[in-house]
Amino acid sequence: MAQYNLEGCQSMDLAKHPSGIGLILQNIVSTVNLGCKLDLKMIALRARNAEYNPKVCTGAKSEEQSKLAARKYARIVQKIGFQAQFMDFKVQNVVASSDVKFPIRLERLSLHHDAFCTFEPEIFPGLIYRMKDPKIVLLIFASGKIVLTGAKSRDQLYRAFEQIYPVVVEYRVPQIGNEDKDSTDRVPRLLA
Amino acid sequence: MADGSFCPDCKRSTEVVFDHSAGDMVCSECGLVLEAHSIDETSEWRTFANESAENDPVRVGGPSNPLLTDGGLSTVISKPNGVQGDFLSSSLGRWQTRGSNPDRSLILAFRTIANMADRLGLVATIKDRANEIYKKVEDLKSIRGRNQDAILAACLYIACRQEDRPRTVKEICSVANGAAKKEIGRAKEYIVKQLEVEMGQSMEMGTIHAGDFLRRFCSHLGMSNQAVKAAQEAVQKSEELDIRRSPISIAAAVIYMITQLSEEKKPLRDISLATGVAESTIRNSYKDLYPYASRIIPASFAKEEDLKNLCSP
Repeated sequence: MAQYNLEGCQSMDLAKHPSGIGLILQNIVSTVNLGCKLDLKMIALRARNAEYNPKVCTGAKSEEQSKLAARKYARIVQKIGFQAQFMDFKVQNVVASSDVKFPIRLERLSLHHDAFCTFEPEIFPGLIYRMKDPKIVLLIFASGKIVLTGAKSRDQLYRAFEQIYPVVVEYRVPQIGNEDKDSTDRVPRLLA
Repeated sequence: MADGSFCPDCKRSTEVVFDHSAGDMVCSECGLVLEAHSIDETSEWRTFANESAENDPVRVGGPSNPLLTDGGLSTVISKPNGVQGDFLSSSLGRWQTRGSNPDRSLILAFRTIANMADRLGLVATIKDRANEIYKKVEDLKSIRGRNQDAILAACLYIACRQEDRPRTVKEICSVANGAAKKEIGRAKEYIVKQLEVEMGQSMEMGTIHAGDFLRRFCSHLGMSNQAVKAAQEAVQKSEELDIRRSPISIAAAVIYMITQLSEEKKPLRDISLATGVAESTIRNSYKDLYPYASRIIPASFAKEEDLKNLCSP
């Protein structure tokens, strides 16, 4: 089982994660309404670290960090002189990654789950699985790593992952016994 | 040319002669013309085998194309012989130029697709399929903003896939007018989504496999039949292995391996040109494939020498 060294990490709740595998949140995108008109040129000039990204807060690794960052931003805008308020903070998108720790047969999966999957190895090495309920997009890679995105809350991600896990187990690459990948000194037995 | 018919003058059935020059049916007994002006339905023109097929006088226009609005009728009002003054301002001229073809853009698009298909040497079925796909997509206004070249290239790409004769995106790129691989990929996703929305789940396009391209790559390189067969078997066997590479790269690496084992070794550069895979990618794929060499190369092609001769890069 992987060791997660994140602060504020709770012990694995098997009710929420029956597969025993947890997700690592990678990105949270949220918006907030400051409730007043802003002179963007002035802000861009007067505030340090200012980039014109209207009201969007990205890059946070947890929902709390995202809210904190948004508040800090509102404070900066206040200091410049605008009457900023903090209304309608809403998380728009949560992204997480995970690893099932075994290789997956993407081609078979895309063949059988044709309605949900897009797999174009020439264009992108990962399979794009569009789950209907919850409405999440998963990028499944042959290495076993899975990226989940499009969720409004982390619970949606957990649900989506638990739903995809049995599917992915079904398409695990079968282990061949005594697989020795670095055999350069053995004479091949072609005529066995 | 004798026919038995009832002659009203002789009041009995008499021999009737058919006169082709005047088109008359004449009673041979009394000379009464029974039917006149019969229509000759035989061929108006004779075509000989050695004459050029350019202007077959039997045909009055091009083949009818069901994708165009009126089937592709090509009648025009032309300038009458020996008339002075200019045709375009006369009333007839105005009728000709005003009634512009409603399918002008469609015809242009079809011509571009035909050009690309000819450069790739594709058969008419694929060309027609691509035309159909383009027509379906063209009806949706949302196409307008997108790169037209990418859309046409993507139509051709999809047509090839649907006919089970896939072409790599790079191959399509090479004949597409400046469209980039990424754009064609995006256009293809877009078209597939639009068509699925339109007509339900009818896009039957399986994933690509290395074997689909192998035959063509081998013939570009001029490999011997034995080598080609060995390569095909090797690629079949490699599908069971867990190699995480694009199928094209795997095909290129297999070709490299097979040619290194045979008498005519192809340099990496030739394989790279024929398959469109970069040389370093072929080297890396070869590295991934090398440990399984004994498993995928058929015994009939090479025996223990293969391990000695194959270098591990």
